[in-house]
Amino acid sequence: MSGAVDIGYGQLALALGFVVLAGGASLWLKLGLGRDLIVGTLRTVAQLALMGYVLLYIFAINQAWLVLLLFAGMIFFAARIVAGRVKGKGVPVFWPVFLSMLLSYMVVSFLVTGVVVQAQPWWDARYFLPLGGMVVGNSMNAMALSLERLFGEMTNRRDQVELLLSLGADPREATTAINADAIRAGMIPSINSMMGVGLVFIPGMMTGQILAGADPLLAIKYQIVVMLMLVGSTTLGSVVAVSLARRRLFTPAQQLRPGVSGTR
Amino acid sequence: MPQPLPQEAVASAALLRLEEVSWRAPDGRLVLEEVSLSLAPGELAWLRGPSGGGKSSLLRLINRLAEPSGGIITLLGKPLAAWEPPQLRRRVGLLAQSPVMLPGSVEHNLSLAFGFKAAQGQAAPDRAALRGAMDRLGLQGVELGAEAQGLSLGQRQRLALARLLLLSPQVLLLDEPVSALDPESKELVEATAVAQAGEGRAVLMVSHQPPPQASAMRRLILEQGHLREEGA
Repeated sequence: MSGAVDIGYGQLALALGFVVLAGGASLWLKLGLGRDLIVGTLRTVAQLALMGYVLLYIFAINQAWLVLLLFAGMIFFAARIVAGRVKGKGVPVFWPVFLSMLLSYMVVSFLVTGVVVQAQPWWDARYFLPLGGMVVGNSMNAMALSLERLFGEMTNRRDQVELLLSLGADPREATTAINADAIRAGMIPSINSMMGVGLVFIPGMMTGQILAGADPLLAIKYQIVVMLMLVGSTTLGSVVAVSLARRRLFTPAQQLRPGVSGTR
Repeated sequence: MPQPLPQEAVASAALLRLEEVSWRAPDGRLVLEEVSLSLAPGELAWLRGPSGGGKSSLLRLINRLAEPSGGIITLLGKPLAAWEPPQLRRRVGLLAQSPVMLPGSVEHNLSLAFGFKAAQGQAAPDRAALRGAMDRLGLQGVELGAEAQGLSLGQRQRLALARLLLLSPQVLLLDEPVSALDPESKELVEATAVAQAGEGRAVLMVSHQPPPQASAMRRLILEQGHLREEGA
């Protein structure tokens, strides 16, 4: 079924020329990025090679538990990346992030493969993993943006939150506006990309399908599904992650945690 | 108009009691050390002390925005931990040192506390009541529709006090409410504190200003974490 021209190992090595070009620029302009370029290149090759062989194996045996385990593994690493990016002032967010990703990405991926695409069975590795992978990869940025905004605003607007608490608001009431800002921050990029798709960029999945010889009209249908599912998954992920994380900003006595409220 | 206090407040000898309360800041510094204090309904206490001496921290503990590291605080004989935090905070009203306004109109800022779950059963004040609350604090020149964050510091200070008084708390914790006021407004706010005590509330007021001569009140000093009666 593959219509794409095969790339030989020699030709693949030619692509290294791009990295040599970047390395040259780093040396010439004293950017200090040489080491990162080498590590990045090695990791790209190794991680993708590993992924390729894992997919070969999983496609071959196509077992539900294995597909779902791999999906959970992808989410685990995504949650680690997001939790590392959000320096939550001493408030750990790994578990809220992991749980909200698992819940929302699982629901969206199931709806896409099982209900929209109607793959048989719904967890068929050839559909579920690439589509689910796109949900994870694109939505994790949304979640990081939402949580960064949540923690940033909690610090900036700490006085407003404490005012509302002191007037008898519960933590949810005291953070209504911040909650909305944080969720909005996560949703806006996926809405913006709906505006630009097909005009200012051809998305990666569509590119891949066209290279593989698929009918562009079929590729477009898949791409529409992907764009819409990303709006759903970023919304669901941001809403769940922000509501789980904002609970952790307060003590059971409905006080801002010291790390969030600063020292007084 | 301020609502009359419930009978339980009037009947209790000590409305608010602090027993050997200590507080350690998150950085480990001991800010308050075994502070004891008892306030009866109708009592007005004037609290002063050097900056950084723990006055604001003391008020935050009583409003339960922070938790003591030792000792116990009771309201109406019941430990603070036994109260639902929103209900407690409406009874023990805190006026913070810097008057915080949310984006929106003066009217929105005055009535926002009546939209919370904890306000269920409590009727929101109408525009006439809001106007009256402002006028009593010398804010006749401020429109209800004005942007609250655009007011001067002195106006915001009085607006924050009006917002708090609308809740009719049983205990009033006022953290330097006159620091940015002209002499006339300062007298008005001080007279309000005295009048609130006269209506049966316990009032604890932090101020660097000397207290008004005429009124009977307790004078407290908080220095290096220790609280004592002035002259004692």
